[in-house]
Amino acid sequence: MKKAFAVALGILTAIGGFVDIGDMVTNAQVGARFGLSLAWAVLAGVLGICVFAEMSGRVAAISGRATFDLVRERLGPRLGLLNLAASMLITFLTFVAEIGGVALALQLVASVHLLLIVPLVGLLVWLVLWRAKFSVIENAFGLLGLALAVFAVATWKLGPDWSSLMHQAATVDKPGDEEWSTYAYYAVALFGAAMTPYEVFFFSSGGVEERWGPKDLGTMRANVFIGFPLGGLLSLAIAAAAWLVLGPLDIRVDTLGQVGLPVAAALGKVGLAVAIVGFVAAPFGAACETGLSVGYSVGQYFGAQWGKYVRPPEAAVFHGVLLLVSLLATAFLMTAVDPILVTEVSVVFSAVALPLTYFPILVVANDPDYMGEHVNGRFANAFGTLFLAAVAVAALAAIPLMIWTRIGQ
Amino acid sequence: MSGDQQHGGGREELEDRLTGPIDGVLHLLDRQLIDRDGELLGKVDDVELTPLYLLAGGQHGADDRLAITGVLTGPAAILDRFGGRLGRILVERWAQLRLSEPNRKRPWRIDIDDIDRLDSALHLSVRRDGVLRRDRDAHRLGRLTGLDVLDPAGERIGRVLDARFEPDGAGHLVMCSLIVGHGRPGSLLGYDRRAEQGPWLVRVVVRWMHRHSVIVAAEDADIDWGDGTVRLRSRPTERPTHPFDQ
Repeated sequence: MKKAFAVALGILTAIGGFVDIGDMVTNAQVGARFGLSLAWAVLAGVLGICVFAEMSGRVAAISGRATFDLVRERLGPRLGLLNLAASMLITFLTFVAEIGGVALALQLVASVHLLLIVPLVGLLVWLVLWRAKFSVIENAFGLLGLALAVFAVATWKLGPDWSSLMHQAATVDKPGDEEWSTYAYYAVALFGAAMTPYEVFFFSSGGVEERWGPKDLGTMRANVFIGFPLGGLLSLAIAAAAWLVLGPLDIRVDTLGQVGLPVAAALGKVGLAVAIVGFVAAPFGAACETGLSVGYSVGQYFGAQWGKYVRPPEAAVFHGVLLLVSLLATAFLMTAVDPILVTEVSVVFSAVALPLTYFPILVVANDPDYMGEHVNGRFANAFGTLFLAAVAVAALAAIPLMIWTRIGQ
Repeated sequence: MSGDQQHGGGREELEDRLTGPIDGVLHLLDRQLIDRDGELLGKVDDVELTPLYLLAGGQHGADDRLAITGVLTGPAAILDRFGGRLGRILVERWAQLRLSEPNRKRPWRIDIDDIDRLDSALHLSVRRDGVLRRDRDAHRLGRLTGLDVLDPAGERIGRVLDARFEPDGAGHLVMCSLIVGHGRPGSLLGYDRRAEQGPWLVRVVVRWMHRHSVIVAAEDADIDWGDGTVRLRSRPTERPTHPFDQ
């Protein structure tokens, strides 16, 4: 019974944890312009994150090593450091976007200037990382993030023509007034939003710290293979609702308020209130995860003590990094940069950074010296290789597409 | 047995690799250092190598095989591994940060006697508090790998990619062979060790890139540390497991 509860809780928090500011904004933007015609990119991203997270979770459970341990062991100190710098830059961008997202959501309620809210959110995030029994908070925000399921209710309430939605999702086509280049750009952005690397850093580091073993593989797989796809379904619901309400009006999504507009249109004030709870909770949980991921990864590269359960005196470097990134992210947002723009950039660069950590994990997941009998099977390797090609293509295409389409204009 | 079991948990004990042959770069370099209480204290930033005759207290030339006598950690060790000119400059700058400190360029070391076991990490048999010493400087694995390898005629055939060590029965891990080829040390990614390691695509590409790699017996290799070259006494023919080539 206790075990079943733990599995259910894990799945529920994985759903809420999957959807962050990047998923919310990108899916609303794409939904408003392309409807469900890019649903395949979300599905590819969800399948990709499942493959990636399952491998790194399994490596963590069997060998006790987290992502950046392996990056350095396989790529050496020089290439490993470049990899760390690139991955942390992108994770930091995501961290900035999440804090900005929480601030934007609070602004919807409080109507005070964004720059007054940002320092408060930055401080709160840091306090959680510094003081907290993090697992409690992780679960709390994961569960509150489920409030985003209101988008699924809104889609249903809007009473769409289901067969035309399904047709749109099943065929490779786009609305006539859009270019194929922007279509490709948003495909990469959706892929990057679903397959954000920090999710894997956080997942595998958590596994090491919770001392997963072979007997935890089942729970881990349930979280990944049920939680993430349901999170992907939430993403698609955001896109569908945006298409139904914003599509006909030709509204492009530039603010968080517009993301919530379809819910307000379908369900009124109460629906919007529920959506805002999700808007605050999902990025806040993700902000904690990205912040911790930076600390974890730096600790893992240098071998310093890291972990959400270790007290600051035992892990000075780790907590120093957390303080530093919290300050830097707040300072970055105080330049009045638009958090939505940071979000757009961060999901595209996520796609660029993916192969850097994906490749070493794929190699180690096949190495019996680490994995014993739990090496990748045929099935895992078929998907592993397929997605190695997919992340390579997405990484190479991302920046040229971003320049060509002027960030999807 | 190591004390970190007291933390409980479901993880099974992995095989201790110090009892069999290991590849220095693949299995030891860059591994996590964990003390007997399970606390983390750094990485294996480099590995200390000492000729056996020095351990026996004998004269030069008696037994000049290299044995692992400790692991090195900290900035002075890792900065050196950035290699060549860059590595030297970085170590120099590190020393300049505090000129009043003696032997700052010398890395911290942990003696092999304080090491308990090696699996996916290197476990110490002691607590981390005060375990690091800075009492001597010796040869380093990180400097051996990357050295140019010359055949008996003086022609360059590649670089040292990895070094293989075996227990000698007297409690030392002694270097028995070198893996020589092109590319970066460690870039074989372990695909030289097993015929069937997946995924297929990665295996084929890595093996193709390393199709000219060879194994050289340690007694055939004359290491000139000052000059930065390894000269071979005979032309190597043995190759790592490469069923792909056959």
